[in-house]
Amino acid sequence: MEKLTKKQIDDAVRLLKMPPDSKLVTHLNACVHCGLCGESCMYYKTMRDNRFIPARKVELVSSLYRRYCTLTGKIAPFLVNAKELDEGTVKEMVDMLFGACTMCGRCVKHCSIGVDISYVVHFGRRMLAAMGLVPDTLQATVNAALDTGNNMGIPVGDFVDTIEWLEEELIDEYGENARIPLNEKEKKVLYTLNPREPKFFPLSISAMATIFYAAKESWTISTNMYDVTNYGIFNGDNAQAGQIAKRLHDEMYNMQSKLLVLGECGHGSRVNRWEGPNYLKHPYDFEVATVVELINSYIRNGKIKLDKNRNQELVTIHDPCNLVRNGGLLSEIRFAVKNSVANFVEMNPCGTDNFCCGGGGGQLAMSEYNERRLKIGEIKAEQIRATGAKIVATPCHNCVDQLSQLNHTYKLGVKIKTIAELTADALVFDEENED
Amino acid sequence: MVELKFDGDGFLTNPEIWSEEVAKQIAQEDGIDMSDQHWAVVRIIRSNYEEKGNAPMIRTICKETGLKLKDIYELFPLGPARGACRIAGLPKPDGCV
Repeated sequence: MEKLTKKQIDDAVRLLKMPPDSKLVTHLNACVHCGLCGESCMYYKTMRDNRFIPARKVELVSSLYRRYCTLTGKIAPFLVNAKELDEGTVKEMVDMLFGACTMCGRCVKHCSIGVDISYVVHFGRRMLAAMGLVPDTLQATVNAALDTGNNMGIPVGDFVDTIEWLEEELIDEYGENARIPLNEKEKKVLYTLNPREPKFFPLSISAMATIFYAAKESWTISTNMYDVTNYGIFNGDNAQAGQIAKRLHDEMYNMQSKLLVLGECGHGSRVNRWEGPNYLKHPYDFEVATVVELINSYIRNGKIKLDKNRNQELVTIHDPCNLVRNGGLLSEIRFAVKNSVANFVEMNPCGTDNFCCGGGGGQLAMSEYNERRLKIGEIKAEQIRATGAKIVATPCHNCVDQLSQLNHTYKLGVKIKTIAELTADALVFDEENED
Repeated sequence: MVELKFDGDGFLTNPEIWSEEVAKQIAQEDGIDMSDQHWAVVRIIRSNYEEKGNAPMIRTICKETGLKLKDIYELFPLGPARGACRIAGLPKPDGCV
């Protein structure tokens, strides 16, 4: 590692000295190093190296806080185990806070005193971002979003071509009202996508378009801004996260839509629904909902009819951390799935105690930690195998990708599907819909 | 023989040394026996990369090869990115793949 400059150190220390509120200090001081978090962490459970214990990750940040923000730490750092922000410390921080944490928050749930460990990890990432030490692979995904408007750098022409192709196939199947409207203003719903859908996996777009058609929804997708992801929450650069969040926020006004619907993406939902107003420092004055909640409203209001017997294979749910443990959508996801499939089995553990897929926190973007990512994913793979399910349903494209790789690596022989795909397969059309 | 270098995800870090021999070698790791259809997909991806510097849309792959979406997912169980693009010697695409 290159020698740190004075500016890098000053920039990181300034963040420590000026946290947004007292939460950071409370949580740094509250950890008593009991180590209960160890058994909750996929990294520690699979690799049994003490460096991976979540409390150790908190300690990386708290030892710096003591060094630069407490009187004893400044005068006699050895008395309070305060650490210098030097090359060694920073190398360990990059390896542990970027390379060994999916920010899934399972340790937070297991912490005896409720230390928000993933918040502290994120704060550590913010310090590293301030020093320009975000892994290049992760930063490349943020840069693609900043430079091109979507995190895979898809040119508008290619995007339009793809959507038109999907629309043609939809019209062939359901008639001319089955559309994928682009850039239509004053529609009720502005729908968003994960760029991996148009780029490589568009079946989930067709599935959702079919549901919109069945529900007779007024909706559109904007070619200017359709990306629901925001890797700015992972790289620790809140200014960049805010810049990306603002684009989607502003697009709501540009399109004059009423409801921003977040495609099946865990972190994207978290950013745009729960973090966005904090980044932009004002509340959003339009409604925001995840697509799972929207589908459920169609089911509850009788706008779509489902025959769950059309999905006979045994289905289990993988709960995305950002939507369930951190987002409260536990029962919403089950409502959608149980209305769409005939046979359902829970994973153990599940819901708010579920294990991460292993690909969260930006891990899928960081190739250098690939080996660890697949190793910790073994827990999830064995959970899936134990259910005997043939289909794993999950409302997060990031989880879908990690689960697909686990499926191959651990020879699970399952199919990974989004909620919209399962629901679309169960749709029953009344005569009115058919042209 | 030129040394092959891979990133942590198994994507070539020196994509310029790719050859069809290299493709066969990577395919074998994924348990894929390269058929004419596999080659058609891989060649489209490779030529798009050499021309434009990135992976083509799945739309382009379907259009150019005449294959259906589901055929491509069956040919490459790891998907177009981690499966086909890796065999075509591309660097790992950005994003959730």
